[in-house]
Amino acid sequence: MVDIFPSEGKNGNGMSLAIVDAREWQNLLDLRTGKKVQDEKAQTVMLRSILKKHPYPGDVDILSNQWVTDTALDLIGAYDPQLVCVVYAHQYFASRYTPISEERRIAMIENVFAEIERFINESGHTPVIVGSGDMVKLAGEIDLSKVDGLAISSHWSARYAGLHRASARDLDYVSSNPAIERVVRRDEWISLFPGTSCQADRIPEYLLVAREGWTFVTTGTPMRKSLRIPGESFRIPLSTTLGEAATITEIRALIHANLGNEKIALIIVEGVGIHDFPIPYTPCGNKADWHYYEPGDGLYLTISTGTHQVFAHPSGYEYHDENDAKREYPFSGYFLDIPQHTLASDSPGKSIAVGNHSMFVHTIFGADICLECFARNLYNQGCLGVIHRFK
Amino acid sequence: MQCSYCEWRCELSADSHGVCRMYYADGEEIKERFPNRWSYAVSRVESLPFFHAHPGSRSLTIGTTGCNFKCRYCSNAYIALQDPDTLSEHIYSMTPEELAGMAKKLNCHNIVFNVNEPTVSLPALWQLKKIANKAALPMGCLTNAYGTEESTELLASIFDFINVGLKGFTSKFYREYIGVNKAEPILRNIRWLAGIRHVEVTTPVIQDVNDRELEDIAGFLANIDPEIPWHIFRLLPEYEMKDIGYPSIEQISLALESARRTLSYVYFHNFVGSDWVNTACPECGMEVIERLSLGCGGDKLDYFHCHGNQCPRCGYAIKMHGGYIPL
Repeated sequence: MVDIFPSEGKNGNGMSLAIVDAREWQNLLDLRTGKKVQDEKAQTVMLRSILKKHPYPGDVDILSNQWVTDTALDLIGAYDPQLVCVVYAHQYFASRYTPISEERRIAMIENVFAEIERFINESGHTPVIVGSGDMVKLAGEIDLSKVDGLAISSHWSARYAGLHRASARDLDYVSSNPAIERVVRRDEWISLFPGTSCQADRIPEYLLVAREGWTFVTTGTPMRKSLRIPGESFRIPLSTTLGEAATITEIRALIHANLGNEKIALIIVEGVGIHDFPIPYTPCGNKADWHYYEPGDGLYLTISTGTHQVFAHPSGYEYHDENDAKREYPFSGYFLDIPQHTLASDSPGKSIAVGNHSMFVHTIFGADICLECFARNLYNQGCLGVIHRFK
Repeated sequence: MQCSYCEWRCELSADSHGVCRMYYADGEEIKERFPNRWSYAVSRVESLPFFHAHPGSRSLTIGTTGCNFKCRYCSNAYIALQDPDTLSEHIYSMTPEELAGMAKKLNCHNIVFNVNEPTVSLPALWQLKKIANKAALPMGCLTNAYGTEESTELLASIFDFINVGLKGFTSKFYREYIGVNKAEPILRNIRWLAGIRHVEVTTPVIQDVNDRELEDIAGFLANIDPEIPWHIFRLLPEYEMKDIGYPSIEQISLALESARRTLSYVYFHNFVGSDWVNTACPECGMEVIERLSLGCGGDKLDYFHCHGNQCPRCGYAIKMHGGYIPL
């Protein structure tokens, strides 16, 4: 067991603390190594207490979004942050995998916006609300299990799949498949995002792009069958009184420009796009040419860093090759490290992040204190609290 | 005709498909309704869980549909308990050659059947075994061990390493929570399998239901071989029991104290951050294999300290099927 000795006002040694809460049982770990640590500082005790008070109901439980509001409000009360990042994702998970009527789907959207309104009223933070895009009914599946090369669909992507070591027969097949909108060569894809840092060797030789409503089934596809999938989202809704952002890369600057004057909450609402957004908004560009971001780490990271992050975890990469014993951040899913220069880590004031899209909350925003559900493939294991630093 | 694959021994006909709904009778022959329909994914062997077989290796995990149990807490009910007829269109139609080829493409060391119950797909698995052998891919499985003696022999001829789900110890528990009448065939099959194959055992614990049977299970396993690795899973109830409380980690760990004295390798996991996933040398106590418990994300090898299968401090031979396979 490791003892940490924090310096005044900072979490010692640059170590990020992780508190895993498996309901009625907690463990305190080093986020990077996964090893047990000891720490009795007030902030750690505070986060332990909030985790204990708010057991996670589950991704598809109707109380999931209420859990976000309640937990975020308690954390705000305890830490008084200038910047809050909140993620509401219940309606995305529920509509993707649960058979629901149109009435129920609309009611879910009304409910999440009622939660957002409650959060805004009780927190007093000025909201910047972003909808991650509409969901559409599944039109069909494109089975890539029989290609000679290797097709991979990574991290719940519906529209994109990677094709590695493709044969001529594979290229004929995907090029002539009417459900595939385009087949993009690696260099063509990279050239779409000039100036973007990327590890070219992780990018598949070909990116396959499905037509709206269609999705790929191949290595990496979750076993649960999708009923709805993310729809066309070249533009997504942005609602705020702070000003305008023409594209998602401008949201960060908009927030930073106003943080000195007021407390701000970035609120991401998953599974809701322009078609269903129930409050006034402006359309915000979510694209580069034919490419748009699905609700995933690329979208989140681009909002958080202000630069395109399409290649941080490129669609269809061979993610399984990175899952060895040497890799760090074992509780951070497929993230190999914690992204730098993110919205909250580059902000001078205090910050928190809370949400029910596990893994993203503690990685993407760089907030001082983060609290998220710990769920994988809809299995509810509890919660994860992370202290990156405290101020 | 009577099915001989599991102890239900269902009457099959062309239109009668038994409890698992995966077989039918074609004259005097039992045939699969959906041969070579598979799901597959990539996983670490520790996630399945196998802690003492091919440590560190990457597995192609596979499954079909259907099950001969109806566990009230099933975590895979959306695939194991659905009508296979409705699911078979949604999984892959792949020949054994294609499935083994996929394992090779994904650089998997082995193939593990882990989604539903292998007994409901043994003929296809036998065909896969022949191809996997040629491709030098060892095969393992998770099973409920409710097979007949003859099908358990077939199971053992297909799989080199087996994790048996021993869900309770009494027939009363099996009747009330699993939907089968007797525990005895399962205990019989564990005894037999442990003599000829690498066997690990997993018991999901439901507090106040089967936690009182833990000591009996430990005694039963110790009687067969005190070095059988035993995984106690904190049950995350799903399906019909999704609203019951989560078991207390502290109380179950306490209940396992006596088991830790009778069995060499007792693990308590299926929750994130577990303290009970490392392997200690039974002789000198050194932690010879360290793992991280990622809960539903599965477990992960962290450090493998053994030399071969031997404790680096005292040389004791740690129970191990196959060697360390770093990715």
